[in-house]
This record gives sequence, C-alpha cells and structure tokens, in this order.
Amino acid sequence: MPPTFARRLKAGWPAYLFILPAFVFLAWFAYYPAYLALTGAFTNWDGFLQRDFVGLSNFQRAITDPVLGLAARNNLIWIGFGIVLGIVPALGVAELIFHLRGQRRQYAYRTFFALTLVIPSLVSILIWSYFYRGEGGLLNLLLDKLHLSALKQFWLSDPKVALYSLIFMGFPWLNVFYLLILYAGLQNIPSEVIEAAKLDGATGWRRILSIDLPLLAPQIQLLLLLSIIANVQNLLAPLIMTGGGPFDATQVPALVMYQRAIQYGEFGYSNAISVLLFVVVVLLTVLSRFLGRRGA
Amino acid sequence: MSLSQDLPRTQGGHKPPRRRFSLREVFRQATLIVLGILSLFPLYFSFVNSFKTPVQFAQNPVNLPPSLGPGAVNYAKAWGQVAVPTLNSLLITIVSVLLTLGLAALAAYAFALLDFPGKKVLFALVFGLLLVPDFLTLIPLYVQIKKLALPSNYLSVIFPYIAAGQAFSILVLRTFFEQIPKDLLEAARIDGAGLLSTFTRIVLPISLPVLTTVGIIRFVPIWNDFLLPSLLLDTAHRTLPVALVRFQGSAESYSAPDFGALMAAYVLSALPLLVLFSFLMRSYIEGLTSGAVKA
Repeated sequence: MPPTFARRLKAGWPAYLFILPAFVFLAWFAYYPAYLALTGAFTNWDGFLQRDFVGLSNFQRAITDPVLGLAARNNLIWIGFGIVLGIVPALGVAELIFHLRGQRRQYAYRTFFALTLVIPSLVSILIWSYFYRGEGGLLNLLLDKLHLSALKQFWLSDPKVALYSLIFMGFPWLNVFYLLILYAGLQNIPSEVIEAAKLDGATGWRRILSIDLPLLAPQIQLLLLLSIIANVQNLLAPLIMTGGGPFDATQVPALVMYQRAIQYGEFGYSNAISVLLFVVVVLLTVLSRFLGRRGA
Repeated sequence: MSLSQDLPRTQGGHKPPRRRFSLREVFRQATLIVLGILSLFPLYFSFVNSFKTPVQFAQNPVNLPPSLGPGAVNYAKAWGQVAVPTLNSLLITIVSVLLTLGLAALAAYAFALLDFPGKKVLFALVFGLLLVPDFLTLIPLYVQIKKLALPSNYLSVIFPYIAAGQAFSILVLRTFFEQIPKDLLEAARIDGAGLLSTFTRIVLPISLPVLTTVGIIRFVPIWNDFLLPSLLLDTAHRTLPVALVRFQGSAESYSAPDFGALMAAYVLSALPLLVLFSFLMRSYIEGLTSGAVKA
C-alpha cells in the first residue's frame, strides 16, 4: 500500500529544511524580480512609487519605436554572425585537438586554449576599443604597415562599419566553453564508429561531415541555443564601446532596455522590452527543441 | 573523471603504434599554436605595453619593451587604481560561490536522496528558472535592491549572485548525488548517522570534485560581471571590472592617454584568475568534458 500523503509529509519534513534556504534566495532574488518585470511591463513604473496600470501601451510603443526596430535588425545580424563565429572556430579547434596523437598532448592544448579565460571579458572589450581607435588604433596601424591604408576606417564611429566592428571583435573568436563542450562530444563518439568509418575510407573532411557533425548534433543544438541567448542579452560591448551609437548603428534591444530604465527612468517601458525579448528567447528555445526532436 | 585519462593512449598490441610526428600532426599543432597565440594576443599586448612610456607606446605598440624601467611607474599607478577593487571582487566572488555551493548542495541533497510531497513541483520550479534570462531580472533587481537597507553594500550583489547560481548548481549536484551508491548511505544510516551528518560526513566529501567544478563554473561569470556591480555598488565597494572601466575613462581623458598604466591594470586584473586556474584548471576542463554539464 502506498503511504498516505500525511505519512509522507511526516517522514519527509526534514527535506523542506534542506531546500528552504535555496528557496528563500530564489523567491527573493529570482522569482520576485521576474514577477516585477512581467507585471511592470503593463505599468508606467518609474522605479519609485508610480506604478499605474497602462494596459498594452508599452508594447504598442515598443512595436512602433523606430529605434527599437533598428535595434532588432542589428541584433538579428549580430545573432546570425554570432552563431557562426561562436561555433565554427570552436568546432575546428576541437577537431584539431581531438585528432592530436596522445592524450597528454590533447590535454596540453586544451589547457593552452583555456588559458584565455584568465582575461576578464571586460578587459578584452577595453583592449579591442583601443585596437579599433580611429587615430593610432592598432588595426589602422597594421593596415598602414601592410600598405593597405585605403582600408583604414573609423571602426567605432562610422555608422556603416561600427556594428560589424563589434560583431567581429575578439578574433579568432575562440569560445573556450564551446570548445570544451564540442571536444567532449567528440570524445563520446564510440571508437567502433570511427574505426568503421576509417574502413569505409571516410577520413578528414568526409569523416567530419558524415560522422562527426551528425553525432555532435546534441552539442551543436545546445550551443546554437546558448549563442542565440548570449547574443540577445549581450549589451556590454555596445554599452562600453559605443553606447549604442553612432546614430543607433550599434543599438540592440537589450541596450535600449537598459538605457530606458537607467538613463530615462522609464522602467515600465524597459520591462516591456525585456518581456518581449524573453518571449523571443522562449519561442526560439521551444523551436530548437522541436526541430531537434524531429531531427533525431 | 578517471586518472587513466591523462596517461598516453596505449595502442592495441597487434597494431604498430602510430607515428607521433607525421606531417599532418605537425600541421595540426602549428595551426593550434597560431590560433592559441592569436587568442592570447590581448594578454601579450597588455603585458609588453605595461612596460613602456607613452612615447615608446606611440612609436611601436607591439614590440617587446626596450627596458623594464617604465614598468615601475605604470604598475604603481595601476596598483593604486585596482588594489582595493581587486580585494572587493575577490571577497564578493568567493563568498558568493561558497554560499551558492552550500545552499545548492543542501537543496540538491533533498531532491536527490529524500522523498517528500511536492518534490516534483518544487524541482520543476527550480528547473524553470534556467529559462529566465538575466536581462529579464536585471532592472527589477536594481530597483528592488536599491530599496533594501542591507547591512553591507557587498550583500547587494552577493545575494542576487547566490540566487542566479542555484538552478544550474542544484541541477548538476542533484545528478551527481543520485549516483552515490545507496549502500554507502544505508550503512551510514545503520551506524546511526542522521540526515545532516550523512550529508556533511558522506555526501559532501565524496562530491568534492563536482563541487569544485561547479564552483569554478560559477566563479568566472561572477568575477567578470559588470552590470550589477556598476549599478549597485558605491565607490568604496567597487569591483574590478567597474574600476577598470572608470580608469579607462579617466586615463583617456588626459591630453595624452596613459596607456602604460592602463595596460598594467589589465595585467594585474588577469592575475587572480591565473592563480586560480593554475590550481584548478584540471577540474574546470575535466568538469566540462566529462559530462558534468550535459545538454
């Protein structure tokens, strides 16, 4: 006979003490702010006492806001390049390391690449701001040295190139976290599969295309999702490097969200933008799960 | 996470061992070395320029410094800017990570090994938080915490960091705790150990490797975070990333930007993680590649 609810409760009560501390923090600093964001989106919240219900007007404003439209377009471009720059170099390096002879050597190279983690992400943003300086920046100096002065740009202050400068920052775009996830995926491929492929003559590129990529599908799907989410919420680079300018050329929705609240005190409108972004992220997550299941 | 992983791969006895230096192998290593050096170029760049005077920097920003002399001035200036913020960052990050681990381990223990009504619903509540992105809660957190009268300014970022780490940490730890042999826990129970002492004397010691891995994985984003500290911390409690941005702003507003001191500050800012990783790199890499974190 299954124990009754009361008996289970009596036997299980210490468990609640174990989860209580975590839930106090979650309630206070995760659920409650999420609730504030979701409800604030329908108000004219100013961050203080004013918090009157205004219906859908924040969302109406968001949809017709030309700056937000431009920001959304910029973010789509950013996401598109971001996925490729995030996954392709990491996959290439994971393959190269995986095919090295000897575990010790593979470990040494993984460590070598993981070393980049010691550079705080903010420092690389600051250093790239210097590389991109119009006058005396490293990139323009390099172009001068190569006798390619015609290609010199005001990388961050020319509205036509600023967005792409931000997107292509961080050459050679090696994300250590992605690299390690993909490498782990390669390690999980059963050696019989690899041996069989070798007997069939599938080596090099053919092996990567016909064996590795299909078998890495779960990892790639995860990274696809992670890189979309990372690029949707990446407001740090534009905030520090350009402030969204020049002329909103590097504006992204997450930065509009930040600026509307912090600089203009329009917390209700800011919340509406974050809710819209949240809906987009959830839809993409569901979509990728769905596609992943159909592919599998 | 077996030790044998790091030993050289042994080939089957009937097959001749593959050559360790073929042309392809040389090509692979050369490509990797070039890519690795390019990835680390910002570190090299900060390092060499932290030993240059403004004039030397303007003449050539990529060569090795002609002498190490100018480094003294640069590092002294940088140290003045980053010393206190580095201590603040260390304090905030270490306390946040330890509390994250402590609370998550307690909760994961209950979810993995105890039975209680509502377990599935409560776990779904934790799991669902993985779907809630940081940007959704950033602005309300800022307002909410500004209003709190916290006993210390440090806590205004430590509390949200603890909450932000729970979902991921509980998930990973629960998976690990579930794999602890039941006999072991049963033996402890027969010896008269209560739930709490089973937790502290058996579960925690066994889980030290996975706790380390989760700890480092949480360490890096908290250490790097800029937005929350820039909004919530006053000057005295300022963290390293915030201090670096302010220093960059002030250094660049001089008629001649003081790049040497800036670069010295960047080098100093990389040191704590360099020390941490020199001890724990193995845990980080093996944690990420051994499947502790899975899709």
